[in-house]
Amino acid sequence: MTHVPFLVAAYAVFALVLAADALGSRLRLRAARRQALQRQQRQRAREAGTNASALGTELSR
Amino acid sequence: MRFTVFQDAPGVSLRSRPLLDSYRRMQPIVRWFHQLGSPPTFDRFASRWSRVFYLAALPVLLVGIWQGLFVVPAEQNQNDAFRIIYIHVPSAWMSLFVFALMALYSAIALVWRIKICEILAMACAPMGAGFTLVTLLTGSIWGKGTWGTWWDWDPRMTSELILLFLYLGVIGLYHAIEDRRSAARAAGLLAIVGVGLLPIIRYSVDWWGGLHQRQSINVFGDNAVRAELIAPLWWMVVATKLWFVGSLLAKARADNLGREAGKAWVAERLGPAGGSAQEHPTR
Repeated sequence: MTHVPFLVAAYAVFALVLAADALGSRLRLRAARRQALQRQQRQRAREAGTNASALGTELSR
Repeated sequence: MRFTVFQDAPGVSLRSRPLLDSYRRMQPIVRWFHQLGSPPTFDRFASRWSRVFYLAALPVLLVGIWQGLFVVPAEQNQNDAFRIIYIHVPSAWMSLFVFALMALYSAIALVWRIKICEILAMACAPMGAGFTLVTLLTGSIWGKGTWGTWWDWDPRMTSELILLFLYLGVIGLYHAIEDRRSAARAAGLLAIVGVGLLPIIRYSVDWWGGLHQRQSINVFGDNAVRAELIAPLWWMVVATKLWFVGSLLAKARADNLGREAGKAWVAERLGPAGGSAQEHPTR
């Protein structure tokens, strides 16, 4: 009886899980960066909006 | 010299001087650990070292696999199926080690409320679940080749399966609660309680027997496996540890960035375009 198919299957499982783990880490990091960036853009837009409305109030006095 | 640096540091108020004095008196290693607890410092550290550990793991992993598959002779009883040991045993050891580490980080986070320890504890779970899955699947494949069955409700296999469910429980609980800190505390508590399973897994074959063989490889002591067959195993043990550290740092860094998304240091690191500074966070 040959054990090669079992050996190939076992090592493939090991390689797949490690590769999925590395890829998962990379994707999570990318998603975290994107979320942080979007949050900062929203924050900047909000601040710009607040400044514009304050200026508008000042000019209408 | 260090005194001058602290004295001249911008934003240092008179009220924080006693804190700085005690900080200066710390041993360098203790101070380093203390600094590592700060999210920006941890981000810098993790971005540099996760890549180093991943890159260090790769050649060690390749040497281990090459030796295990092509260099060592086939075993007398199990023939080539024996070579599964080089991924099954290191993964099984890692599944227990990672859970113990996760519980330790959780305990530190619960007692001292260190945010980075919460993050590290939760970053352990996916990798630990991965190693447990590898252990169960490779064990099942090995079992089919040698025992003639994919699965048996043997104490060792069943307790390892419960460990996988515990890992999944920790991951699920962490993602089920919206507040990250409360989620980490709840999941950490589950990890601490779950540590009781580790000695059961370790000694299940001695206490209840079953289909799974007894401990044949000991770190300190005699091995039932021939000496020339052991070398690739140690390569793989080192490789899985290095890979785990790389993965842990990468996952913890992502979680840390997510939690600190609104902070000034994240904005500074991501840069105005969001991409220019991120690859060189040590600048």
